[in-house]
Amino acid sequence: MKRKYILLSVIIGLGTFVQSCSDYLDVQRYFNDRQDLERIFNSRDYTEEWLANAYYQLLSFNLEIGHVRFTLTNYSDDMIFTEGGAGISFSNYKFGQYGPQYGGNVNALIARPWDQSYEGIRQASIFLQNVHPGDEISEEMYTDLKGQAYFIRGYLYWLLLRKYGPVPILPDDGLDYEASYSSLAYPRNTYDECVEYISAQMLLAAEFLESDRSSRSASRPTKGAALAVRAKAYLYGASPLMNGNQEMSTFVDDNGKQLISQQYDEEKWAKAAAAALDVMGLGKYEIYVAPKRSNGGLWGAYPKTIDAPYHPVYSEKTWKEGGWKDIDPLDSYRALFNGDLYVSENPELIFSRGDNQLNDEYGIQSMSRHQMPVSRGGGWNCHGITGKQCDAYAMNDGEPFDRATSMKGFTQHDGQYPYLRKDVWLEYANREPRFYASVAFSGAHWSNTSARDGNNRDFQTFYYYGEDDGRKIVSTDDRWIPTGIGMMKYVNPKESYKDGTVYPKVDPAIRYADILLMYAEALNELTTSYQVPSWDGSEIYTVSRDIAAMKAAILPVRLRGGVPNFDEIGIGNPYNNPEELRREIKRERQIEFLGENQRYYDLRRWKDAPEEESQMIYGCNTTVPKESREYFYEQVVVPSVQTTWSMKKYFWPIAYDELKRNARLTQAPGWPSFD
Amino acid sequence: MNKYILSVLCFVLYAMGVSAQKKTVEVSGTIVDSEGLPLIGATVIVKEKPGLGVATDIDGKYKIALESFQYLVFSYLGFENQEHLVKDENMILNVTMQESKATALDEITITGMGPQKKVTVTGAITTVDVGTLKTPVSSISNALVGNVAGVLAMQRSGQPGSNTSEFWIRGISTFGGSSSALILVDGFERSMDELNIEDIESFSVLKDASATAIYGSRGANGVILITTKRGNDGKVEVNAKSEYTWTTRTRTPKFVDGLTYATMANEARVSRNQKAVYSDQELMMIGEQLDPDIYPNVDWMNILLKDGAPTYRASASVKGGGSRARYYLSGSFLDEGGMYNVDKTMKEYDTNANYQRYNYRLNIDMNITSSTLVQVGIGGSLEKTNHAGATSDNIWYSVFGYNPVTMPVMYSNGYVPVIQSEEGEMLERRYNPWTIATQTGYSEIWKNTINSNVTLEQKLDFLTEGLKFTGRFGYDTYNHNYIQRRKNPEMWRAERQRNSDGMVVFNRLVPERLLAQYSSASGDRKEFVEAEILYGKNFDDHNISTVLKYTHDNYVNTSNIGGNIMEGVARRHQGLAGNISYGFMNRYLFNYNFGYNGSENFAKGHQYGFFPAYSAAWNIAEENFVKDNLDWLSMFKVRYSYGEVGSDNSSSRFPYLADFGNYDRNTGAGDQSVYYNWGDMNSAFGYPGLTYTRVSSNNVTWEIAKKHDVGVDFYLWGDKFGLTVDYFNERRDGIYMNRAFLPDMVGIQGQNPSANVGSVKSEGFDGNFKFDERIGDVGFQVRGNFTYSKNEITEADEMVNRYPYLRRTGFRVDQAKGLVALGLFEDYEDIRNSPRQDFGDSRDVMPGDIKYKDINGDGIINNDDIVPIGATTRPNLIYGLGLSATWKGLDFNLHFQGAGKSNFFINGYTVYPFVNGEWGNILEDMASSNRWILGENEDPNAEYPRLSYGGNTNNYRASTYWLRDGSYVRLKTLEIGYTLPKALTTRFYLDKVRIHLVGQNLLTLSKFKLWDPEMGSSDGMKYPLGKTVTFGLTVSL
Repeated sequence: MKRKYILLSVIIGLGTFVQSCSDYLDVQRYFNDRQDLERIFNSRDYTEEWLANAYYQLLSFNLEIGHVRFTLTNYSDDMIFTEGGAGISFSNYKFGQYGPQYGGNVNALIARPWDQSYEGIRQASIFLQNVHPGDEISEEMYTDLKGQAYFIRGYLYWLLLRKYGPVPILPDDGLDYEASYSSLAYPRNTYDECVEYISAQMLLAAEFLESDRSSRSASRPTKGAALAVRAKAYLYGASPLMNGNQEMSTFVDDNGKQLISQQYDEEKWAKAAAAALDVMGLGKYEIYVAPKRSNGGLWGAYPKTIDAPYHPVYSEKTWKEGGWKDIDPLDSYRALFNGDLYVSENPELIFSRGDNQLNDEYGIQSMSRHQMPVSRGGGWNCHGITGKQCDAYAMNDGEPFDRATSMKGFTQHDGQYPYLRKDVWLEYANREPRFYASVAFSGAHWSNTSARDGNNRDFQTFYYYGEDDGRKIVSTDDRWIPTGIGMMKYVNPKESYKDGTVYPKVDPAIRYADILLMYAEALNELTTSYQVPSWDGSEIYTVSRDIAAMKAAILPVRLRGGVPNFDEIGIGNPYNNPEELRREIKRERQIEFLGENQRYYDLRRWKDAPEEESQMIYGCNTTVPKESREYFYEQVVVPSVQTTWSMKKYFWPIAYDELKRNARLTQAPGWPSFD
Repeated sequence: MNKYILSVLCFVLYAMGVSAQKKTVEVSGTIVDSEGLPLIGATVIVKEKPGLGVATDIDGKYKIALESFQYLVFSYLGFENQEHLVKDENMILNVTMQESKATALDEITITGMGPQKKVTVTGAITTVDVGTLKTPVSSISNALVGNVAGVLAMQRSGQPGSNTSEFWIRGISTFGGSSSALILVDGFERSMDELNIEDIESFSVLKDASATAIYGSRGANGVILITTKRGNDGKVEVNAKSEYTWTTRTRTPKFVDGLTYATMANEARVSRNQKAVYSDQELMMIGEQLDPDIYPNVDWMNILLKDGAPTYRASASVKGGGSRARYYLSGSFLDEGGMYNVDKTMKEYDTNANYQRYNYRLNIDMNITSSTLVQVGIGGSLEKTNHAGATSDNIWYSVFGYNPVTMPVMYSNGYVPVIQSEEGEMLERRYNPWTIATQTGYSEIWKNTINSNVTLEQKLDFLTEGLKFTGRFGYDTYNHNYIQRRKNPEMWRAERQRNSDGMVVFNRLVPERLLAQYSSASGDRKEFVEAEILYGKNFDDHNISTVLKYTHDNYVNTSNIGGNIMEGVARRHQGLAGNISYGFMNRYLFNYNFGYNGSENFAKGHQYGFFPAYSAAWNIAEENFVKDNLDWLSMFKVRYSYGEVGSDNSSSRFPYLADFGNYDRNTGAGDQSVYYNWGDMNSAFGYPGLTYTRVSSNNVTWEIAKKHDVGVDFYLWGDKFGLTVDYFNERRDGIYMNRAFLPDMVGIQGQNPSANVGSVKSEGFDGNFKFDERIGDVGFQVRGNFTYSKNEITEADEMVNRYPYLRRTGFRVDQAKGLVALGLFEDYEDIRNSPRQDFGDSRDVMPGDIKYKDINGDGIINNDDIVPIGATTRPNLIYGLGLSATWKGLDFNLHFQGAGKSNFFINGYTVYPFVNGEWGNILEDMASSNRWILGENEDPNAEYPRLSYGGNTNNYRASTYWLRDGSYVRLKTLEIGYTLPKALTTRFYLDKVRIHLVGQNLLTLSKFKLWDPEMGSSDGMKYPLGKTVTFGLTVSL
């Protein structure tokens, strides 16, 4: 009897005990109110924040345009920089050392673009897996957000592809970081696979993205942006470096698979042309022009429009009619870069990072400060232009510049020639308007009208030896330009770093002029006609080397710059000859896109880099003082900025550490690989 | 919940108050020992009636009334129990007790399941004679080294309050989580450093898997079981002990005098084609001490340190009780003096490194009924550490940094000198030693601990014989308070030239700072609950015992836990463990253990681990053919065990949880800078960039050790000679590591998720022997022990590497790695003919600089030529050898201890002379040894290379040149004691009086002479270990 009670009590006691013990290790209650993925994607704000982090990876080392420490590829045979030992670091870079001499970590320039891109890719992939419509996110918004994430993912792959060549394409879900190292090792995909992947991402993006943006979303991509990136990727895939390039037969993955196609395929050009046509077909973009200005003086920030020399076709017609009668070419061009136009004011801008690169350390602002003279502009005076680039600008009638026949001597007074003040070398006279918008030659006019001190406004800067902004006795100082030719593009005429205002500048990541020139370039390569469906399959384009189409595409870019189309200069018609037209288009890109991170990659994809980049850099003779100034302009090889070419410079290397961590990854040709 | 258990048990107890009535008889008599002396306080109880009992009086007499036909049990500590049957009449029963002779068969081992006869133990367990641990050390961990087989230990500092030892059971076999052993005091996880040594009753070390399996979760690194003393029925025993210790230093680095310093500084400059620092005239001024303001000659070590410091220890305990209740009560006090000089003019406070500790303990056992025992234990300690306002590390940084000639202790006008102004991390560390030790205010640390535990044992024989329930509950709190009161005087530096008036020109480098206070606190709380059911019974020759045990524990930091929610969550374990033992005639023994343990730190599904262990033993000495023929072989047991043990000791909390924030992984930038604006220029329509700040690691779970152990226990002639040797072999898998080598492609740069990836293999031997002999009045004992362990990393989180020797895998945990030095360059010819040494500017390499071996043969010496050299920084071999003898009242004890198989690099600004210019003193050894001197001693095998002023990147790198052997042998203890004759002491009503004199660390033998090798310090910048002489008195009554 008694025992029964005891047993009963023991059982009840134990039961209670076990009950209270069963959740002893449960800690979930402490963490219920913490942040988690579910909470993030149920909230509109957190969802946007998550996406913002993916966009954030487009900055610093993934900027198109900025300081050398971040965007080294903006410096090819067109621009130079002196930071770090008066050009020594530029030479090192030209010799293939993307190393530490530009500041920052030893491997930052090589490793960080890679890191950042894949980080953003993961961020976008997680976003795509989790984003969903809900209480705070409408169906419409959800669609657009999804489109943005596809765009960012594709765009980051595009940035990787452009720099490193073919890269591994990861599963859309992202990699499982808890998996074994061996299963996390991925080989590179082929270049064509990468292009197709980017195309696929951009098609998805284009399907979901909105076409237009208000000013509060000006820096989000649109349908057009997605199609434009797709067009660029196709164009690169069609270009000689990737299209049947047997020199790249050694670029293989770990199983020996060739990553660059070995068979030329003309149809790739047709696809590229069709992809450009997709953008043009949207009818949304046009070349920006500024109206002709009849007020204003000769100098100052916004002088009176200087007309181009009379041309029978263009001078009589308005812009709408296909002429330049009512526009200001100088203003039309420079306003794209100097901050005068905001993102939503610029009909030419297809994609931009907007004001997210407003950082003295790395953005365009940093670059313009590096171009500004030290003495009266408060800049760093260490970015310049090569003699080659300077000479590439045509005369104002569209004829090429020819040193042999060019005028010599100096201007006698301000305004003797358009845009020129007193004491300027006459080779700089009568050049096309884009020259004056881009080149800060010796004696160029800096208006800097926001400067408080009158001395720092409307001044000329000369680069003679011993001048404030010229070469000094202490030649290791970085604050002088070894070619004696400065750069004006991106500098706002009101800007002063000394005692005035600095103007925020828009990042021209993709603009319509690029699409137009790409379209012409691709058509020019065709020998037969191709049927290519449009991006959404709604129509079938027939593309061929259509001269009228090419002319029409190139014309607005030329006209806005105040120069006649190639066939209207009066020295022949290059449209009739693919090779001639190719040369003209290449030169046009060189002029139009100076400092827009295009030339470096263009030279490579055209396989022109071995020749163009290995040429000695020439410029003015900076050892000449003012007293014997005419000798200053005699072109000499610039000893402090050496250059060379080797195979390895086609593609960037992958950081040594990354090769060690991913055993299947192969190094780009010419770079030391890890065994 | 515990309430329920108690109420249930109370009910159970109430139910058992049953008894019957019989005839009562009275028995009386005297109890004497074999020499006829009366035994005071011997107990007389009625068998199986623990409530009934008496103790003998001062004449050894007793008187007891009991029921007829029962047994009386006579017992006295150290004597064999006797039982006598009382019939149904009053009687006088005089008893002569025989001193007990313990045999190997009776020796008790404390295991995870409770006390067990050594003969039946199948696992690898070392039970330590507590007497050997009772040396005058402030912390018991210091007594372990060389005393306990299976324990590797080293003491890194001698500073009062921090002079404990680090130790590892059977070496280190992991590199991920913690490698420290689980320490259980009275069954609960507690620190042993604040324990009063006098309170310890037993001390055992559980080494193999079968011994620790019952602690499944936390036993992977071995377990130390400590039980504290309890009262026993019988006479009240009072013990008191008082000790006075004088502590000096084993080895303190010695520095050169001013003139030698200046001459060597000149040599360092001149030998590198630089201008001398001191002109001949200045050297003369230093030598003759003509201008001590500008050219002083100071022995900073002497300024900072006293010759020695006193320590005082006292402890007292009382124990006693009757058969119903027993108690043990103790208190102790320790006052350890620091060795720093103090500013005697300052009376308000003490800047010395002093340490005081108070301990108390009360253990009470109560037999509530004949089958119910309740044990209550309360213990605590209060510690107070005092030191200067500046930290101890900074004091040593300073005293090693100040050279003898730059600064006087005080300028003649009373200005306080300082070598340089405060910049960045130099703050305070570069005050001069006297200033930093005495003029920077003072700091106090208070720590207090309270431990309490309750145990209830209920015999459940009424259910079935041999069944027992035990419940335990423990609750500990600890808190730590730190208050720094910091100040400093204005400080100056004199220029090296007097001005035109002949006056010293002073520059003020550091402004005065008035007293300011900084404080911090931390604390924790622990709770433990255990419930077990034991069953043990003998069936003829068969012996079966089983245990089933439920435990959970809870540990939480109670203050200073910051803003991270995870840190505020208690660390918890929950477990079920069991054991089944079967023995046949003490001959064949089998044992199965398991632990099923959970940890709150892992994700659901990974929380629990199952850890089984098996062991078996064969006691060959019990076989009849041995018994019949070899009766001198008392025990010859062969043991084997295998088992798995887990560890959840990962430093990362809740690795399966992710954290989110606005974060730039590459730059570490957070919040505002990580932002993307989608609006147009000059507008703000953007969002901060949200992402993972920590990714979740979902699969993290137990680190698991698989352990094998083969052991032999060997006893001859009773327990005259005993030998135990074990071979162990362990493989640790799933070691916690952070995955630091994920390809950046994965897209989580800067995040190293946790995972169980590492693997370590380790094996070794440990063993001990003792030999007791008695020749006439002289008894002596020789004993020794050793532990050797070697490990190898078989898997670690690392990248592919071109050179296998650059990897961790294949080498030991903590393997020293460096360049291989081939001596010094003989001449420029030698340099030209050798591979280029690519550290700094290779053109700076000169004859007399260190020449390295080109390991990979690429013609360049660089970091790719770094190979494993020497052993590990912590010793792999520890041994001890002891000898003790007694003769009448005299006893004598000698204990040597040694360590081997360890290497460490020496470096720092005293080892690399003049590396920081005038900062850094010069070791005397450098001046007096065979040093390379230009034009004087161009010995390519010199002990120190060509001097250089301002550092030398080629010479000053880890290489065999700077690798030192950390092995040593020391006379750890020398003890002489004298116990006053009993005839004398009884006259003062004292039971026992003993005086003793103990010397510790009196002698150290090692190849390494610069500082104490046991510290394993690369630069010696530590409070030195003590060499002590202690006088003590122990009294029992």
